[in-house]
Amino acid sequence: MNAVGQPLSRAEGRLKVSGRASYTADRRFSGAAHAVIVHSPIANGRILSIDTSAAENACALAVFTHLNLPRMNPTPKPWSHLRPHGQGHLPLQDDSIYYAGQPVALVVAATRDQAAHAGTLIQVEYEESPPIVFGRDTAKAAIDPPQFLWPVASAVGDAERGIAAGAVRIEQTYSIADRHHNQMEPHATTAMWDADGSLTLYETTQHLYGTRELISIVLGIPAEKITVICEYLGGGFGGKAYVWPHTLLASLAAKLLNRPVHLQLTRAQMYAMVGHQAATIQTIALGADKSGKLTGIRHDSISPSSMFDNYIEYAALSTRSLWSASGGIATNHKIVHVHRNTPTAMRSPHEALGHWALEGAMDELAYAAGIDPVELRLRNDTEIDPHSGRPFSTRAMRRCLIEGAARFGWEKRSPEPRSMREGGYLIGQGMASAIYTHWRWPAKARVTLDRDGSALVEIGTHELGTGTYTVLRQVAADALGVAPERVTVRLGDTRLPPSHASIGSATMANAGASVMLAAKAARDKAIELALTGRDAPFAGTKADDIYVGDGMLRLAQRNVGVTYAELLTRNGLPHLIGDGNYDPVPEAEGPKAVFSFSAVYAEVRVDPELGLVRLRRFVGAYDAGRIINPKTARSQAIGGIIWGVGQALLEQSETDPALGRFLNRNYSGYLVPSNADIPDLDVHFVGDFDADASPLGAKGLGELTAVSVAPAIANAVYHATGKRVRDLPITVEKVM
Amino acid sequence: MHPFALLRAHDATAAIAAHAQDPELAFIAGGTDLLGLIKDRATLPARLLDINGLPDMARIDARPEGGLSIGALARMSDVAVHPEVRKRFPVITEALLFSASGQLRNMASIGGNIMQRTRCAYFRDEDDLPCNKRRPGSGCAARHGLNRNHAIFGWSDVCVATNPSDLAVALAALDAHVIVRGASGERSIPFSEFHRLPGTTPATETVLKRGELIVAIEVPPSPEGRASHYLKLRDRQSYEFALVSAAAAVAVDGRRLRSVRLALGGVAPKPWRLTAAEAALSGVSLDDPGALARAIAASFGDARPLAHNAFKIELAQRVALRALQIAGERA
Ligand SMILES: Cc1cc2nc3c(=O)[nH]c(=O)nc-3n(C[C@H](O)[C@H](O)[C@H](O)COP(=O)(O)OP(=O)(O)OC[C@H]3O[C@@H](n4cnc5c(N)ncnc54)[C@H](O)[C@@H]3O)c2cc1C
Ligand code: SF4
Repeated sequence: MNAVGQPLSRAEGRLKVSGRASYTADRRFSGAAHAVIVHSPIANGRILSIDTSAAENACALAVFTHLNLPRMNPTPKPWSHLRPHGQGHLPLQDDSIYYAGQPVALVVAATRDQAAHAGTLIQVEYEESPPIVFGRDTAKAAIDPPQFLWPVASAVGDAERGIAAGAVRIEQTYSIADRHHNQMEPHATTAMWDADGSLTLYETTQHLYGTRELISIVLGIPAEKITVICEYLGGGFGGKAYVWPHTLLASLAAKLLNRPVHLQLTRAQMYAMVGHQAATIQTIALGADKSGKLTGIRHDSISPSSMFDNYIEYAALSTRSLWSASGGIATNHKIVHVHRNTPTAMRSPHEALGHWALEGAMDELAYAAGIDPVELRLRNDTEIDPHSGRPFSTRAMRRCLIEGAARFGWEKRSPEPRSMREGGYLIGQGMASAIYTHWRWPAKARVTLDRDGSALVEIGTHELGTGTYTVLRQVAADALGVAPERVTVRLGDTRLPPSHASIGSATMANAGASVMLAAKAARDKAIELALTGRDAPFAGTKADDIYVGDGMLRLAQRNVGVTYAELLTRNGLPHLIGDGNYDPVPEAEGPKAVFSFSAVYAEVRVDPELGLVRLRRFVGAYDAGRIINPKTARSQAIGGIIWGVGQALLEQSETDPALGRFLNRNYSGYLVPSNADIPDLDVHFVGDFDADASPLGAKGLGELTAVSVAPAIANAVYHATGKRVRDLPITVEKVM
Repeated sequence: MHPFALLRAHDATAAIAAHAQDPELAFIAGGTDLLGLIKDRATLPARLLDINGLPDMARIDARPEGGLSIGALARMSDVAVHPEVRKRFPVITEALLFSASGQLRNMASIGGNIMQRTRCAYFRDEDDLPCNKRRPGSGCAARHGLNRNHAIFGWSDVCVATNPSDLAVALAALDAHVIVRGASGERSIPFSEFHRLPGTTPATETVLKRGELIVAIEVPPSPEGRASHYLKLRDRQSYEFALVSAAAAVAVDGRRLRSVRLALGGVAPKPWRLTAAEAALSGVSLDDPGALARAIAASFGDARPLAHNAFKIELAQRVALRALQIAGERA
């Protein structure tokens, strides 16, 4: 039986629930000192003076400020995922303050509590200027940023003329609040140096190699001398794929003090010491003919960045490819420099922002044109990516729409707003679709087939809670023809073969492909031994006639077989090693456009007097190619849906306009969904093997599932109440 | 973490004396609020006196005449599920069960609950933002800042914070008394007088004096108790403080309200009793929602919104109405 496709439980599940999984923030090393960052309460200004004497006299082993910390090398330009700094501004290098929460001192002591206490004794005098904050007013002065990840603007055809020619037109502004990742495990680092000048970092990261490269550049150490380790990550969501200031500070402090230094951000510091998802103000315009066929789409987005970086939320990105529009599609992005730290990627960057406007506007169009929202989307479905002109490799949007609607019971919906009731409650049903970029990245892996018939997979990828240990084991097991329990997976260490960042839902398809190649390489060596080795059991036959299963090589025609164990013993080999090198063409260059797709359906119950919106039911139909493990995939999907519910109904990082700082910097002020907020979630996979996506046939899934949850819910709220909410989150006062 | 010494009390008289003499000493019960405040540097006591060992302060007594006596050290979870509390005063059980989380309720005491301090995010920020409650004279960042969660009643320009306790709203509606003991003996404080309005001195939140220990809460018998309800409205379905809440208890003649007790949470620096509405509601039929709403409006003439919470004026009236209707169905 194949392991791939089985709903296997997590390989590391027991370790996790019994508290034995070695999370970075929990790891303690003998002799380690503890560092705490002191940060600026002001958002804009300058340090006039800094008095560290009381801290030094208390219990601090050392205090570092811009006055005594060595200078670092500048962050590299242009920005690259291969050496990704979270922000260009480096900590404790000069006296300027660009954002509230910026590090102004690093205190090291024997314990964390002592370091924190000493930190409170540091007196900093500031010259303070009013901060610029993001909002509808400052957005008016938005500028055109230089290109960051993709071209900033796009134009296919003449969108304006297309919209003008439409019999039905929609133009609206949609906005979303700032949000933070709020991972359970705070960002943490333990840095330790060896006598030979090599650095080991235990780091909360979803990008081991990128961390190594960036540290190498900024601290001026050869990359080979740096080891980065992260065996388990307590949540990443994009925020831990970049190097943030605290990692640099811990590394330098460990060097200067010549002892291991552990640094863990406080919960409040997680709101400024590392990135966040920037708010967006988006304008969307649609034109369509009477039958609902789109004639033009324009989508513009404005988002804030820090004073020193040009971070762009590419909110209009997906609008380039989701639906076709006969006249044309135009998109553009602008940014505003404000006093905050640099925003960053957060599940699901770009896509989950832009779909809010696009799929909300599609619902408005459906009502304006008098067409069912599902039917409207079926009519605008396309086999060709409107942006690149390439055919989609696979696009099961139709199946997503139709099968999702069937599971949901969409045909029973009465289309009129406020027409479905239950007692005093209004019931609303809404839907939305989504498209998600599929990434193809290189990865290497090694598989060692042992003489005892077991196998070891080694790859420098990450376990973010997504199930990497489990799915890689399944892939290797099938390629080798052994039971999955016989495969051990090692990951999370730069001494292993290099993989890419675990972002963009890319690990299954890419890291997975390299593991498959490595396992096949090891298997092929075994086949070679069976054909030509000592006492070769299958001498005279062809490799093609041999298949593997149950830990054995077998000949297709005859009922004979040999176990890996026998074969290796016979040849006097302790093990066979297979190397996998997956080196795909980047997604922009292939002949096909590769994306994942979904259609999602939400039912809400609204208490119209109290303004309370409660999600009652949710159905998601996803085309993410072949599903390797339905159980971990479903877990990813329900996690993504819940993530989207947070975006829709609860999450917002509020900025005080006068102080220029995020205010609700904890789990009590920043609301994420509780179990009580989440009903049963119905997850349905419709995808097929997509060879253009990956040799495994899998496309990206995790982030796709967080996309379009918010518009589906908002569309359901409209259907329930007749109120169109265009600003997230949908709180009580917007509905009552 | 701010360093402090932890002391243990075994005897109430000695604990009261220690507290009276030492302005830097704080009682600690469950610690679920106090330790958070210390971490946020909103209060920095040098000494904590653990009162959990004090005898006879965790009892829950159902009095024969229909009232309750709840020891200050009784845990929220124990009070919530006590059969007589549930039967006589469902509003108390509901206020407690909608508070915090199961783990917190197992730790948190009733005395600590009514002493808990505001959730104003400026007040609780470790960075010492302008806050008159925290540092008198430093200003009120919320007055013209983010104030969705702040008051519409009873605030002053010096402080616009709300009291976060759910239980306190129920106790105010039920005319409970707070029994406190000091060097000169015990006194009984009517619940509606226990918390103060901020005026110009928002740092002083209750009438409790240094050297006074809360020993119990007395809930008098009331004909309305059984037909009572606590309605808590919040953005998240669980584990969140109230945006607006209402405690309602009623006695009826047929479908007409005979007497009503009504208090709001999340709208004022203290539990906000709607006395004018209570009077106006008497005699109104439960089947006439328009008349009920008009009577409730009698208490809203003095509501004053801030920049981000004007919706609460309307919302609070709707919450009060709904709580009243549900209580009415229990009569
Ligand atoms: C995450 C979170 C969510 C919460 N959600 C809610 C909610 O939804 N609704 C709600 O109502 N509450 C909520 N709370 C607050 C919680 O109910 C209080 O923290 C708790 O009731 C305090 O009780 P304690 O025994 O832990 O008090 P402590 O923290 O020990 O003490 C609090 C204060 O009371 C004083 N004190 C304690 N006992 C006495 C006494 N006998 N005499 C005089 N002074 C005394 C202490 O000196 C201190 O100043 C929440 C708290 C947290 C942390
Ligand atoms: S409302 Fe009160 S507690 Fe909040 S900032 Fe103003 S003074 Fe401080």
